Amino acid sequence: MEFTGLFLAITIVMLVAWLGSRTVAMVLFAVTLIACVATYLHHATDALQLSF
Amino acid sequence: MTRSHAITLNAVGLYGIACVLAAAFGAQLWLNELPCPLCLLQRIQFALLAIGPMLNVRFGPRPSHYAISLLTAAAGAAFAMRQILLHIMPGDPGYGSALLGYHYYTWAFIGFAVAMVLIAAMLLFDGQFSNDGAAQEVPTNAFVQAAVWLVIALTALNVVSTLLECGFAACPDNPVDYQLLKRGG
Repeated sequence: MEFTGLFLAITIVMLVAWLGSRTVAMVLFAVTLIACVATYLHHATDALQLSF
Repeated sequence: MTRSHAITLNAVGLYGIACVLAAAFGAQLWLNELPCPLCLLQRIQFALLAIGPMLNVRFGPRPSHYAISLLTAAAGAAFAMRQILLHIMPGDPGYGSALLGYHYYTWAFIGFAVAMVLIAAMLLFDGQFSNDGAAQEVPTNAFVQAAVWLVIALTALNVVSTLLECGFAACPDNPVDYQLLKRGG
């Protein structure tokens, strides 16, 4: 679900970058990038299923 | 390098990103290889990589536009490296199939590294920033507009694809079928 949200957020940032304000696009980009890193860190803290 | 040359090269970069997103879709649809969460995160970073070039072709080249692409490429490379390291143990077959001997996440790492080098190379040419000032829209041609809308369309398709794959819950670590279609069937 979070990945669907991230793709949707990027689509919106792209539309703003192409059709809207540059400043708004930059701010939305920053928020989306932070959300991506947060999603990565959330998954990176999962316990690994190692087989050795 | 003039401003118009830089804008053309940024449009070419957008076509390159579109090729990567289309190739990922090709593997998903024709080889039936559903992307794992880390794979999706790398695909997301490739889509996010397009924001800088889009701002460049619309408002003209600016160092800040290249900077956001560099930040995105660095994050994408880190995500891809994480997946490479998860499968680095001897005997580990890796995740998914390999293309020319490398798994997709290894290609993703190479792609992000190449993007960083190309962006740094673009930043070497100060001539493109000569008209730098207040954000002014640049007249665009069909070549540029097609590149932008192609990337937007591929990203929007990923919204639908990811929704079908993961449904309204967390994405499975090793997806084998589309959760939303399974529920519907």
